[in-house]
Amino acid sequence: MGHSIRYQITHSAELLSLAAFRELVDLACNQHPSINEQTRYDLKLGVDEACTNIILHGYQGMDPGSIILTIEINDRQACISITDFGHPFEPVEVDLPDMETIQSEDDTELGLFFMHQSMDQIDYESSPAGNTLRMQKYFP
Amino acid sequence: MKINLQNVDGVAVVSIQGSVDAMTAGEVGSFFEGIREKRNNRIVVDLGEVDFVSSAGLRVIMSASKNVRQMEGDLRLAAAQPGVERMLKISGFTNILKSYSNADEAVQSFGSLSS
Repeated sequence: MGHSIRYQITHSAELLSLAAFRELVDLACNQHPSINEQTRYDLKLGVDEACTNIILHGYQGMDPGSIILTIEINDRQACISITDFGHPFEPVEVDLPDMETIQSEDDTELGLFFMHQSMDQIDYESSPAGNTLRMQKYFP
Repeated sequence: MKINLQNVDGVAVVSIQGSVDAMTAGEVGSFFEGIREKRNNRIVVDLGEVDFVSSAGLRVIMSASKNVRQMEGDLRLAAAQPGVERMLKISGFTNILKSYSNADEAVQSFGSLSS
């Protein structure tokens, strides 16, 4: 098993931060040339959808909070954890919504679907200390 | 993210550069709304320079497609990069929206709409 490298950033829970979260995924993947483009995209998509949910729902009615994104990658897998301090929001797995009837304002189901499609394992833990989403992706 | 609009043979070719996520999807939606207000019901969305699309981006494209179909027109996709193309397939978009290899092909496909 190869060495693991850990990357972490903290950003405000705002939509403006999504690009920075995806950039951290790119930075981490750049250190591992064995990660193919599809895997890279899946990692970015999982992170983006998870952070979008937190931004749109996690801090509703609260003072603006932050999101801590941690990525640990070795040659076989990526382990991602996303921590926030807002309302708990467990990202349950959902079926693909009906695309014929979906509205642009339906901002949860399709994102949850893609999050689960792009990751191999998702766990969620909520405590008074914060909410942590852990996602794992195994490389082909 | 940047959006460019060209009129090619009566078809509105919308070329998007960058990422369409929850942050930028609103801007894309507003752009499509502007095209709708001009009553242009033939739209090609050139995704050749879109490196990332999230569910928010797909939803706004689907919404624009529905609006243009209500005007008895159509919205077609072009040049989606592999990661984006895969999302289109997984979500069933490709069963609903036609997708072409490049914008020229997508524009030419509207020729069949003329009566």
